Amino acid sequence: MLRYILRRLVGATITLVIVLSIVFVLLRQMPIEGYFENYDKLSPAVINARLESLGLNDPIAVQLKDFFASLLRGDLGTSARYRVGAPIGSIIAQKAPVSILLGLLSMALAMTLGIPLGAAMARSKGKFWDKFGTLFIVIINAVPSAVYYILIQMYATDLLKIPMLFERGNPVTWILPVFSMSLGNTAYYAMWLRRYMLDEMNKDYVKLARAKGVSTRKITMRHVFRNAFVPMIQYLPTSILYTVGGSIYIESLYSVPGMGGLLVDVIGRQDNPMVQAIVMLYCVIGVVGLLLGDLLMGVVDPRIKFAKKEGAR
Amino acid sequence: MLSVKDAMSKNLEKSVDASNLFQRAKLDEAAAERAGYSDYSYWGSTLRVFSKNRVAMVMLIVLVLLLIFTVIQPYLPGQRNPNTVNNHPATGIQLSNQSPSFSAELLKVPEGTELTVKEYDDAWYEASNVVGSINKRTDFTCLEYGDTWCRVEYDGQEGYVQTSWLKLPDEIPEGPFTVKSNYKISLYASAADITNKGDPVYVEKKDVKLLDEATGLAVTTGETSVCSLPSETGFWFGTNNIGQDLWARVWAGTRTSLLIGVIVAMVEAVVGIFVGVVWGYVRKLDRVMTEIYNILDNIPSTIVLILISYIMKPGLSTLVFAMCLTGWLGMARFIRNQIVIIRDRDYNLASRCLGTGTFRIILKNLLPYLVSVITLRMALAIPGAIGSEVFVTYIGLGLPADMPSLGNLINEGRKLITSPSLRYQLIFPAIVLSIITIAFYIIGNAFADAADPKNHV
Repeated sequence: MLRYILRRLVGATITLVIVLSIVFVLLRQMPIEGYFENYDKLSPAVINARLESLGLNDPIAVQLKDFFASLLRGDLGTSARYRVGAPIGSIIAQKAPVSILLGLLSMALAMTLGIPLGAAMARSKGKFWDKFGTLFIVIINAVPSAVYYILIQMYATDLLKIPMLFERGNPVTWILPVFSMSLGNTAYYAMWLRRYMLDEMNKDYVKLARAKGVSTRKITMRHVFRNAFVPMIQYLPTSILYTVGGSIYIESLYSVPGMGGLLVDVIGRQDNPMVQAIVMLYCVIGVVGLLLGDLLMGVVDPRIKFAKKEGAR
Repeated sequence: MLSVKDAMSKNLEKSVDASNLFQRAKLDEAAAERAGYSDYSYWGSTLRVFSKNRVAMVMLIVLVLLLIFTVIQPYLPGQRNPNTVNNHPATGIQLSNQSPSFSAELLKVPEGTELTVKEYDDAWYEASNVVGSINKRTDFTCLEYGDTWCRVEYDGQEGYVQTSWLKLPDEIPEGPFTVKSNYKISLYASAADITNKGDPVYVEKKDVKLLDEATGLAVTTGETSVCSLPSETGFWFGTNNIGQDLWARVWAGTRTSLLIGVIVAMVEAVVGIFVGVVWGYVRKLDRVMTEIYNILDNIPSTIVLILISYIMKPGLSTLVFAMCLTGWLGMARFIRNQIVIIRDRDYNLASRCLGTGTFRIILKNLLPYLVSVITLRMALAIPGAIGSEVFVTYIGLGLPADMPSLGNLINEGRKLITSPSLRYQLIFPAIVLSIITIAFYIIGNAFADAADPKNHV
């Protein structure tokens, strides 16, 4: 077990280094305007001096080495346009808590809505809940999330008579962002839980239990649900990625002062160092999320072999 | 001279009546059942199972009609250009934020309404029924008093004014009396206000009779529609804030979005199948490619999309490129997993032993197995690509505004949600987008089910 964890940790670190290097090299291809607050007004000498001080004139390998060195020191560089000269680390530290809280809340809500929905769908196959759930899943999966996010913001704020924009101190304004963000994951959980529960229900041991006279309720709760829940764990990383993707929309729609809104903001202002830092942060979240899912899976399901991992997950 | 061979064949022809030699066998159902014959055909069964799914069939019909309409829409009569800024013909002001309506008709006026008209073109008059105006605090004579309209005479001109503007005496005297107004008021040709907030309106020439060439006084000969534009058709979906026709823009946008979706799905299929087959079939490469996959799969596709569109010049090719960059990964992995499962089945082993080439095994033995998976992924790739386009546009890295796409339109509409009267600019593209994506999703899933031989009973 320990060896498995260690192996996965090393693997994830190597992956992370490669991914960050790719992002870094790609972003070096950007025009250099994105490193200056007022590029047009500067003389070539000043520009060159600043490029020199940022290390942008060095060969790409040297830049990469410097980047990782400063990353290890915890230095993410400074913002060029968004908040001139401010260290990016502190800007992110200021913005991240809201995003994390929002993401966790929405994932919790998605579980509390999605898991009962999936279970209800599996139990009433072909009846109302199944049809309702299927409709919900089809709509959420097919329609681009931006569309229903915007429609929810438009009609729900009218209907519930709540402000359109997010205010940190006003709990009412948290409802819609958290709810909208949870929709994708709700559909996802419900879809997979239904599928796994139906698979599980067709297994022999369930038939045996039924033949023995165990009540349907007991079978569902004690056997089917529990066993179906194990493969669900592997969707945790995907749902983290869903949440991250959703947060980019939701935060800028409701003007939440968080990371997703910040990303849209700095892209609009072409602040290269900021874009780089946030994009890399999202990559880290992605890699860590996948790692977490794999490890959890190992903890929950003892059948997973730790020794050799052939092929893809 | 005939050779022996020729002679023999001639003899043969003579002796055998070829028509009786062979007979077409008919399908004898009883015999067929005994022998275990089945007239099963893969595509026939697929089609049959698919056509049993009623929702999917309805969606298919809707989608096909929508696609046909999207393609032929610009060639239909009376369509406007999606990028033309529509200006009012008389004032030159942009027709911005016009509410959706089927016709340009503002209102219908009854027979006998007097108008002043000016020549516009062969079929239309530019009309107003204002014949003049009366300055404020000027005395004029009221000839006939009515609750909403008064017939008045002013400066030798006869016309109608709205009663509510007048400063009336306490007791309305019988017969003509003198009144004035505290405001500058309009003098109408007849007792009806047909002007569109002061903008000129249009009537068809065939509906009015010109009474007086010099002043342009005319009278309607029947019930006449007064239009805001010299045309019978209005803006079906309204106009946007700079007066572009939303109807044309929605369909042009649908074309762009579908184009993106189809290209991305094609590339995804071609690259995904190729990489997946190589990855799954060539054992030596498996290890390396799996490691590469594990790295690439760790990069969230949203981030790749953002990064590529941020680095490259915004445009159609950038978008397509960014989406193609990530899409094939899932397809390749799926194909690879399936190939690994079926490549060593007995029939493939036998095929290989009999000397079938690798390429033929892949093409004839392996890929037909994967048709359902491939079609499902392609069908889902189209709404996926449309959704990605919406996303990229949303964060400000999408297509330029002169290339309407559904993402563009939704993003423009999004900015107006605070004013309820303008929400149609979001609703129309959103509806079209939803129909397309849901249809592709349902059809894709239904087809994947139907193409799975397990469901062919």
